[in-house]
Amino acid sequence: MTFSGKKAIRYFLAIILIFSLNFAIPRAMPGDPLANLLGEDVMLTEESIAELRAKMGLDLPLHEQFLAYWRDIFSFDLGYSYHLHSPVSAIILSRMKWTLLLAIPSLILGAILGTFLGALAGWKSRDAGQKFETGLVLMIYCTPPYFLSLLFLYALSFKLGLFPLKGFYSTGSALDIAHHLMLPVIVMTLFSLSRNYMIMRGSVIQERGNLYAAYARAKGLYGEEILFRHIFKNAILPIITLLALDFGFILSGALFIEIVFSMNGMGNLIYDALLSRDYPVLQGSFLVITVMVVSANLLADLLYSRIDPRVRWQ
Amino acid sequence: MRSGLHYFAVSLLLVFMILGTAAQGEESSGTVLKIGTPNIVKSPSLVGDYYLGIFAHLSNPPLMKMTPDGKIEGLTAESSEVSDDGLTWTFKIRDGLRWSDGENVTPEDVKFTFDYLAKQDPNTAWMKDVVSEILVQDDSVVFKLKKPDSSLSLELATHNVLPKHIWEKVENATEKIDEGEIVGCGPFVISKTDIGAGIVYFKKNPYWTGTQPKIDAIELHTFSNMDVLSLALEKGEVDAYWKYAGTYPAANVQKLKDTGKFEIEEKPNVGFAILGINLKREPMSDIKFREALAYGINYDEILKLDAQGYGQVANRGFVPPSMAYFKETEPLKYDPDQARKILAEAGYKDSDGDGVLETPQGKAVKLTLLIQSSYQRMAELMVDYLKGLGMTAEIKTVDQSTWYTLKESFDYDLTLTRTTPWGMMVYANWGSAYFDSRRTGQGVLRTVDDPEYLKLCDQIMAATSKDQLEEYAHEMQDYYAKNLPAIPLYWGEVITPYNKDWTGWISNPLYGIYNADNFLSVQKA
Repeated sequence: MTFSGKKAIRYFLAIILIFSLNFAIPRAMPGDPLANLLGEDVMLTEESIAELRAKMGLDLPLHEQFLAYWRDIFSFDLGYSYHLHSPVSAIILSRMKWTLLLAIPSLILGAILGTFLGALAGWKSRDAGQKFETGLVLMIYCTPPYFLSLLFLYALSFKLGLFPLKGFYSTGSALDIAHHLMLPVIVMTLFSLSRNYMIMRGSVIQERGNLYAAYARAKGLYGEEILFRHIFKNAILPIITLLALDFGFILSGALFIEIVFSMNGMGNLIYDALLSRDYPVLQGSFLVITVMVVSANLLADLLYSRIDPRVRWQ
Repeated sequence: MRSGLHYFAVSLLLVFMILGTAAQGEESSGTVLKIGTPNIVKSPSLVGDYYLGIFAHLSNPPLMKMTPDGKIEGLTAESSEVSDDGLTWTFKIRDGLRWSDGENVTPEDVKFTFDYLAKQDPNTAWMKDVVSEILVQDDSVVFKLKKPDSSLSLELATHNVLPKHIWEKVENATEKIDEGEIVGCGPFVISKTDIGAGIVYFKKNPYWTGTQPKIDAIELHTFSNMDVLSLALEKGEVDAYWKYAGTYPAANVQKLKDTGKFEIEEKPNVGFAILGINLKREPMSDIKFREALAYGINYDEILKLDAQGYGQVANRGFVPPSMAYFKETEPLKYDPDQARKILAEAGYKDSDGDGVLETPQGKAVKLTLLIQSSYQRMAELMVDYLKGLGMTAEIKTVDQSTWYTLKESFDYDLTLTRTTPWGMMVYANWGSAYFDSRRTGQGVLRTVDDPEYLKLCDQIMAATSKDQLEEYAHEMQDYYAKNLPAIPLYWGEVITPYNKDWTGWISNPLYGIYNADNFLSVQKA
């Protein structure tokens, strides 16, 4: 069997295993899906509770629920949420588009800016200006995301009135959406940037001491030419792994932004589903995340092999 | 690189444009009252979503309403009367009411609503146990009951009335999802429930013939972060704050006062924080132990730290003065010496000298205090108080779902929780829904199975006169004072800030400012 064939089987088995865990983990958590279904002060009789449990399929033995779960997966049915009163696929689609709109630009901008600025910071690490820049980025990197989001919201939205305080939109026009998303994207970009920056900086510092860098200089190359023609390619490998991870968790990773900016996206959806033990939504969301993580890892594998000849497929 | 960025920018613009057409926002016109709330609508299901159901009391007004002084009066019903045996309730439907699509509101709509919801909505399933038949008689709806239910009119102040001609076509009520206009018969109707924007829009009902509102539209802005909601108030992006069964955080009040732009309304809260006691376990089942516990809590300190002093120390009778037929019982008092004396007299001693008391049966008093994370600070105080009495307590912090599971299986010793105004009033009133072991629900403790208490609950349910109700209400408060099934930590206040640009606010003990009377009265100053 070829190397790529083995790899494909490995990914397939990983998906089967993770899908099974997606079923098991929510059910292993303590708590009852009925707890948050009706509201804090709704009083019920035991009969009503039994009726609800049966309607949600929670009265079935676990193995029957497991079989039904797999049957639904094979028929591309993510189930129905009794908490949100809609099919899970429709809920996820409606929330995912907004979270992707928030997270993808942040991830791309954070990756581009973080990588380039980090590379330059690593190359000229003794430069006073770079030291100041690194200090600033380190500060962002170390600040709790929730706090930084609130700080930006306070300064730019509340004090200066440049951006709205909440939501994905109010009127729904393209300009209105862009206006609402601008600040959350800036904050998320800063976080993504700071992480990529620190890793790239460290990676370049490590690479620039290697013999091939000295050889490039001996050949007559100067400054940034050595950095971007030789060192950059080697130093970027950890960033690719990081991006693959980021891409996988793009849907749930925006939670703190969604809470601060009151955005009903995927992060809030998963968080609420966890608190209310909304099994179908949890399963559906984890399923989508699983597919994204596995795809991102596959993509990272392919990219690695393109960039680094040492890890070619065959 | 430059062309890459160019493509990225163009693609992003395209995505915004596509989403812009997909996200049909709304803009209210005229005089718009904007209310900020942390109660988030998660699904545009009128029957299924808890908070949308409450918000819809304005568009689909219930049969009855609560007045500012806590009395139950007609809303969609003009009047109500109950037969001497308590088995027949007659509600006369108000004349001239029309749905927002021009159809008349009829008694058939009301009969349909409750026949339909009893089958479809778990929140209304209680009707199957109580109501045997609903009849239409001329302009009235008659509820024939299987057993007397003195709280029926109160119950009917919480269920929205639905138009039969719309909902009879809906097979499954909770699954009806509608982000657009919802046909209602109140002074305002929901014109859009925008989950993406986090706004519920109300516009005037064009067919409303009652008192004309002085505003053109209402917007409910939902916030998932309380700090940001406070900023939105300060900035004037919302005009008032409202939270179901809750209050504006006392710690944030001063900041609003400092702006000079806000009136802060303070009303007694019928719901409050309590120390729940698992009466099914020892030593909590021992009344002497509970007596000592009640003396061991520093109520003033809790009131100061948890509510910044907005409220008062409670009485042993549990029920707050803002409820009907309140009886003055002995106030709770912090007296640790008295607590230790009671414990010693009851046989609780530290026989092995390890600093922890043992029960008369010789078991160390090591307690589990079950809480949700919002009670962490109060729980730490409680652990200190228990330590002062010679007991140890371990705080077990869990999320809401786990709390529900552990509470239902009585897997705790003590718990910090709260009552809500509705929870205090429903069932046999005066907090009975929290204690009667025959009931269940998300927030209830169901710890009391004392036949004396259960009989009292049944008597209240069957009461047909105000005199009887008053007598039973007093008996119930005496029961609480004597048996301490739970300890009220303080009677708090509902703090509602609103912008001084608006006047005419009216609030009631059940829903605060979120009531139809208020929205007919409130106006721009």
